[in-house]
Amino acid sequence: MMIQPELELEDEHDADLMLLHFGPQHPSTHGVFRMDLLLDGEIIVKATPYLGYLHRAVEKLCERLAYVQITPIVDKNDYVAPMTNEQALVMGFEKLLAVEVPRRARWMRMIFAELQRLASHLLWLGTFTLDLGGALGGGSTLFLHCFRERELILDLFEEVTGARFHYNTHTIGGNRHDLPAGFAAKVKAALDTIETRIPEYEALSVDNSIFVARTKGVGVLTGDLALELGITGPVLRASGVDHDLRRDAPYHAYDEIEVRVPVEHEGDCLARAKVRFAEMRESIRIVRDAIDGVPEGPINGFKPVRQPTQVKATSGQVYVAIETPRGELGTFVIAGSDPATSPHRLKIRPPSLHALSALPYILPGVTVSDAVAILGSLDPIMGEVDR
Amino acid sequence: MVNAIFDTLRALKTTLVTVFRKPQTVEFPKVVRPRAERYRTSFALPDDENGELACIACLACERICPSQVIKMKSGGKRESPVTGKKRAYVDEFVLDLSACIQCELCIQVCNSDAITMVREPETPAFAREDLVLDLEKLRANARNKTASWGRGTKLQEAQEPPKAEKKAAAAKPPEAKPPEAKPPEAKPLEAKPLEAKPHQAKPPQAKPLEAKQAEAKSPEKEPASAPAKETVP
Amino acid sequence: MNALLHGAVYGAVIVTVLLTITALGLWFERKFAGRMQSRLGPTMVGPIGLLQPVADVLKLLQKEDIVPRDADRPLFDLAPLLSAMLALAVAAVVPFSPKAIASDLDVGVLWVLAIGGLTVIPTFMAGWASNNKFALLGGMRAIAQSVSYGVPLVLAALVPVILTGSLSVSGIALWQTHHHWIVVWPVVPGLPAFVLFFLAMLAESNRIPFDIPEAESELVAGVTTEYTGMKFTLFYMAEYVHTLVGSAVAAALFFGGWDGPFHPGLVWMVAKTLLLFVSVYWVRWSLLRLRSDQLLALCWKWLTPIGIALVLFAAAWVEFVPGEL
Repeated sequence: MMIQPELELEDEHDADLMLLHFGPQHPSTHGVFRMDLLLDGEIIVKATPYLGYLHRAVEKLCERLAYVQITPIVDKNDYVAPMTNEQALVMGFEKLLAVEVPRRARWMRMIFAELQRLASHLLWLGTFTLDLGGALGGGSTLFLHCFRERELILDLFEEVTGARFHYNTHTIGGNRHDLPAGFAAKVKAALDTIETRIPEYEALSVDNSIFVARTKGVGVLTGDLALELGITGPVLRASGVDHDLRRDAPYHAYDEIEVRVPVEHEGDCLARAKVRFAEMRESIRIVRDAIDGVPEGPINGFKPVRQPTQVKATSGQVYVAIETPRGELGTFVIAGSDPATSPHRLKIRPPSLHALSALPYILPGVTVSDAVAILGSLDPIMGEVDR
Repeated sequence: MVNAIFDTLRALKTTLVTVFRKPQTVEFPKVVRPRAERYRTSFALPDDENGELACIACLACERICPSQVIKMKSGGKRESPVTGKKRAYVDEFVLDLSACIQCELCIQVCNSDAITMVREPETPAFAREDLVLDLEKLRANARNKTASWGRGTKLQEAQEPPKAEKKAAAAKPPEAKPPEAKPPEAKPLEAKPLEAKPHQAKPPQAKPLEAKQAEAKSPEKEPASAPAKETVP
Repeated sequence: MNALLHGAVYGAVIVTVLLTITALGLWFERKFAGRMQSRLGPTMVGPIGLLQPVADVLKLLQKEDIVPRDADRPLFDLAPLLSAMLALAVAAVVPFSPKAIASDLDVGVLWVLAIGGLTVIPTFMAGWASNNKFALLGGMRAIAQSVSYGVPLVLAALVPVILTGSLSVSGIALWQTHHHWIVVWPVVPGLPAFVLFFLAMLAESNRIPFDIPEAESELVAGVTTEYTGMKFTLFYMAEYVHTLVGSAVAAALFFGGWDGPFHPGLVWMVAKTLLLFVSVYWVRWSLLRLRSDQLLALCWKWLTPIGIALVLFAAAWVEFVPGEL
């Protein structure tokens, strides 16, 4: 069933309406994203998003790379949360090849995923207030504060993997880098600092009346519409639907710990902000509980990468999905025999694409300023939307 | 409205408090903060324990690179002037750093530990050609820059699945199929010895440029290579 | 002739001083903003970055002057000039010390409010003449905002006028040296009137939280989107000078101008102006921006009624409270 937004527009080419290209070059479109807005004064009458400005043919590229070479490529899809990108991909391959991942690797992956969730939400908070407040003004203050704390997490990842941003620390069967000595203490120190700063962020954002005035009641997305469009993640949970893959279809080691899922019911930008704050606190709690309990053992259940032709799969198709900071990221792999060392088709199901598909439905009727706030609250990352 | 006034004052107070804290940024490059030991950014081709270039042009790194940035020409097998034995040499080695995606796969696959990453970045350049690292530049990096922690043999050893696992997995037929699709016929878990022996020609001692603390710490930091005490559930 | 010479000399001196303080203000703002954001601010150019504004101006001077096709040339070129001139013109009546005033108008407050109200014209000229929809949106918002916030500005400025019985800015400052600062006593019309004046001044100079006309994250650069090089510099400088002069006027109207406990004079006036100037930036770098309808709602639903109430209160005080204020 194709859903069309309802437009009560007799004549789209009405001369009183102004067409504004919220173009690919814009300070707050979260990447290269274009929207054509039909404006009646300041109110949006119709919004048409255009995607594809960041299309890099990643899926096609992966059809000619060997399975073992693909992991560093998908890092660059959702470039704000690379750990979860890699995890979705290698889990897909592990399912295809029926490889078992050792317990230590699964715990490490869970800790990395939660730290990445925290870092991603910190970045989201910074960029969201940047949209609301301007790069030369109040927004940038909170932006830089968030990045200051995000640096602590990136330093932790640097300790483990050697890279601050695109790690390539996952491999088919497990992880490539083991935790160094003293890692648990460093993690706890970083989390303590971040936890003391979160109330400061709240003072400058969700508890601040200007922020609330800009986000309350703005961009309401009903739970039904969200489900029909395939929206997942914090946006869905802010619209009242209690769905989280970590709890409902556990992977990594989530079945061994408790995951509490925050849900809000209003579906506006403020609700999404509150859900993400709650998820930040929850991630801190999960990592604190898990970091001391990482079991001993091997970190890899499959042979390490030695040459590109070492992994072959001639048939099979799998779909694996995990819960990234943006929602359900899925990897669909079809194995083929020509050549058997590369996938026949690799499709990434990006959560931000579905979030952006809500724009034609929720933008009509709001002002241009609200459009910026709504786009920010959906947290799209164009790298994974366009791939 | 009164609420709004108090919120505003609280926001103002928060920023004012930050003014009197120590700033987080430093004046780079006058002040350089220490990086993690495993930090990896550029490349080097170190020498082996005999003082010759360790690389034997086995082309493993050239083949594995997803971005195809490494190109090398083998120099064939010659007698070594130092040891007198025949060994393979590399004549040309070019690594295009501007296209590298820093994935560390080339480090991982090198069984001779002949390529490492280093912890100091290349200086930014004006011309693209300055970021194409040739053999002399890579050997100079090995002399002048501190090597990162990762080595091919070390990484592969750390990632080896335990032996009991491998035999058990190879013995049992592949089950645990994905429920919605045909079972994969591929059997990737056979223990054929097609890859090179992971512990051959290992010169971990003869790294002249190593950061001393890295060398001191690496023997103790191999918890994963200990055999599994429990079978994975 | 004497008055003309006096005006010209003092005018030139004041303009020079204002522009110097603007340059220093640029440096200070960047350092202050940096510290608020946990970073250092400019450090490389000159000792502790003091020559950064010089570098900025030199950079802006050597930029190419791009004019969009189909832009309305006369308006496009005139807008930044007019903006800068109007901002500086207000400084004519600001009393820096009992003698140092460019033009001691008897109706100084009226001059300030009138010229301040005119500043919306170059903003809209820029928005219209740029032939750019973002600029046009910014210009339209600017008109709504300036016209609306003119009302609380006038009402807030009326309070010291009523309490002192003089429309001249230096007269009000003089009254405060003999009595007490208006912001201190009477507290009730004084302090809220100052807050109202401050907010209205922020809105008139398009500062955050009221900077919708140049809302950078929504409208790229609002009315100044199409301006480059020296024209952009003039707009930028006009905004700074507007804020600086607004702070000076507020200091004169509410804080007693050059009045101080010991050795009164220029030093005190400058100190008070700078304190208010810094507060404007403190607010700018801490708060988010209000949406335009919320901004207008704030003005008409809260600030204007409060302003009217304050004026009536001040009039009642003067009329009914016996004795000297």
